[in-house]
Amino acid sequence: MSSRILPDFDLLLPKSLAEAVELLATHGQRITVMAGGTDVLVAMKFTQSPEYVMSLDGIPGLGYVVFDAAKGLRIGAKATIADLLAQPEVKQHYPALWHAAEIFATGQVRNTATVLGNLLRASPAGDCSCAIYAIGGKLILQRTDGRREVDIDDFWLSYGVTAREPDELAIELVLPPPAIGARSAFKRMTRTNDDLSKLNVAVQLEMLGNTCVEARFAMGCVAPTPLRLRNTEALLKGREITAELLARLVESVPSEISPIDDKRSTAEYRRQVSGVLLKRAIEEACSAA
Amino acid sequence: MKDAAITLHINGEEHKLNVAVNRTLLEVLRDQLGMTETKYGCGTGECGACTVLVDDRAINSCLALAATMDGKRITTAAGFAHFGELNHIQQAFNDEAAIQCGYCTPGMIVKTASLLAKNPDPTEHEIRHALEGNICRCTGYEKIVKAVQKAARTAPGRTVKADAACQEVAQ
Ligand SMILES: Cc1cc2nc3c(=O)[nH]c(=O)nc-3n(C[C@H](O)[C@H](O)[C@H](O)COP(=O)(O)OP(=O)(O)OC[C@H]3O[C@@H](n4cnc5c(N)ncnc54)[C@H](O)[C@@H]3O)c2cc1C
Ligand code: FES
Ligand code: FES
Repeated sequence: MSSRILPDFDLLLPKSLAEAVELLATHGQRITVMAGGTDVLVAMKFTQSPEYVMSLDGIPGLGYVVFDAAKGLRIGAKATIADLLAQPEVKQHYPALWHAAEIFATGQVRNTATVLGNLLRASPAGDCSCAIYAIGGKLILQRTDGRREVDIDDFWLSYGVTAREPDELAIELVLPPPAIGARSAFKRMTRTNDDLSKLNVAVQLEMLGNTCVEARFAMGCVAPTPLRLRNTEALLKGREITAELLARLVESVPSEISPIDDKRSTAEYRRQVSGVLLKRAIEEACSAA
Repeated sequence: MKDAAITLHINGEEHKLNVAVNRTLLEVLRDQLGMTETKYGCGTGECGACTVLVDDRAINSCLALAATMDGKRITTAAGFAHFGELNHIQQAFNDEAAIQCGYCTPGMIVKTASLLAKNPDPTEHEIRHALEGNICRCTGYEKIVKAVQKAARTAPGRTVKADAACQEVAQ
């Protein structure tokens, strides 16, 4: 049993972005970055004992969620799940992300947890991560000598590991502007309402009449990181959505995933329901338009 | 830094404190200030017993570092009483017998206050959704929902409306 008391550490409270990246340049790997802390503090109460914790609390101006029809949605590193839900444009243009945020944890956690923290945690179960993977987007990483963009497709490397270097701070996520005919949906399964997902899925479709011209499917809890279902996407792209085709998609999903047995579910169960959950998400995306 | 000098405005009173950086807001309230109305349930953000308002947002104080709260306005369940008089939310929990062991009650009161501030006339569904992060092992929630409905009806400045139950039937 853990005592659930935080270990000793040194707190870094930079007052500007410049100071924050300076600290990362100096201490790098020895720093654990903390945004909302809902993952970091829980991990520290059980196992982790970082030398430095760098809180983003004192850095001004990173709490924004801004929509622009031409540029897309920009989410700052300190924007919480609640901040996201407060933007009507998110519900209108990015329904999968809005839904993932709406069912996320509890009101108290949504007031604290950040959207970017969910991506940086690199958990295969992250709900916003799943929705964002289907929508597509870019993370902006800052260090002392400049910034770079990393496509979400290249961001998660393995369980808990991202493309972020130790001297970089993630400052913003940019989602593309909504395409014409775009629709999206998110679905998840849990043991109890407020538990982490045992399986989640998000779909983003671009439709031209009944024909699907673009498709991105993301599934969580079925691999070490959130997973794109690229083979299954290929089956749908350029085709009309019919009951027969959906049945083929359902069959295709289990061959793309590598779920495991854990306390939330079994590999066998996840394999069995994965295709059906994808199908329901596609149906929901189509019916919502 | 290992310690931080901070000022907290708790229930309208200013507190100048020196806190160890690895202390949660909950630990500082309870152990350093002796304000034990805010409860420790799980320490991991799941039960809501430690809920407080920080600048009007309900958060779990077990998952917040006190050292990062400098200058913040904190409201605990005790902060709603005025000179020993219970406010309408506290009174409603009493009147509806929505309290058994009472351990969850401070968190429930704080979360109810944040709900009613945003939504003065919530439906039963909205009440249950708002309280999803507050676990009660005793009451079965029925009486808690009734207490929140009563608190909504009895809020100061509100004209007395039809009983919430009647409204639901009417819809
Ligand atoms: C009770 C409870 C319920 C939860 N329910 C859900 C749920 O339903 N769905 C879900 O997906 N998750 C859930 N979580 C997990 C957690 O809340 C999310 O992963 C959340 O989005 C993390 O955000 P945060 O701001 O709290 O991150 P933090 O804990 O601050 O950080 C998370 C990780 O990201 C890194 N990081 C954060 N910001 C940056 C940055 N700007 N630059 C570089 N690195 C950074 C940190 O170093 C850390 O590794 C739950 C957690 C709790 C405690
Ligand atoms: S003690 Fe904070 S949520 Fe349980
Ligand atoms: S009254 Fe006992 S936990 Fe709610």
